[in-house]
Amino acid sequence: MISVQQEDFNVQALYDELCIANITGAVAMFVGRVRGFGHAASSASFFLEHYPGMTERNIEHIVAQAKQRWTLLDVQVVHRVGELSINDQIVFVGVASAHRADAFAACDFIMDYLKSRAAFWKKEITPEESNWVEAKQSDEDSLSRW
Amino acid sequence: MDRGVLDVADMKVVFFASLKETLNRDSVDVQLDSSLTVADLKHYLAEHLQQPVLLDKTVKAAIDFDFARETDVIDPARVKEVAFFPPVTGG
Repeated sequence: MISVQQEDFNVQALYDELCIANITGAVAMFVGRVRGFGHAASSASFFLEHYPGMTERNIEHIVAQAKQRWTLLDVQVVHRVGELSINDQIVFVGVASAHRADAFAACDFIMDYLKSRAAFWKKEITPEESNWVEAKQSDEDSLSRW
Repeated sequence: MDRGVLDVADMKVVFFASLKETLNRDSVDVQLDSSLTVADLKHYLAEHLQQPVLLDKTVKAAIDFDFARETDVIDPARVKEVAFFPPVTGG
């Protein structure tokens, strides 16, 4: 399942869905969260914009690449958009496989590509100002690992 | 020049994030009667909207919901929507 949504997600429910197949021997999961930044570490929030139609397509493409590369039983990706506050969950990537190596690698791969190849834009908001987050070269460089 | 309906295709160009704010608009409709590259469309819009920010090298593009390169060709008879935006920052 791939979902781009404003609502929060329930990690336990997503995990349960990943465990449906009785040949599932490994589940790797990643959760990204809003953390405090700079001087506004306690009052930070984010606005996440996306491109309806393109964002979902980007994620489908990334998941399809992962499924070609590793032997996977199921993949779940949930990415939130809209206004998010400190400590909110932003993104969930869950991968089910027979063995842990495939699950770990595919989860890592999907997160790297979500950072640099999916149409999302983050804006940091503090009581004083708001700034669009600039893309990091290190995120782009991470893709060379694959 | 007489432009018959079938010769001119309507295409929507949409903008996102900081680019949308700088341009103070989220889209513009353009009519094109021949193919052009992503770079050509950037130049056309930069002039048409008087917004040189569109020529910034960091501005990325998509054609009908797929990431596109500067040299990719936009065929107005087939393409419905082109997007311009800053580098993505998801995850």
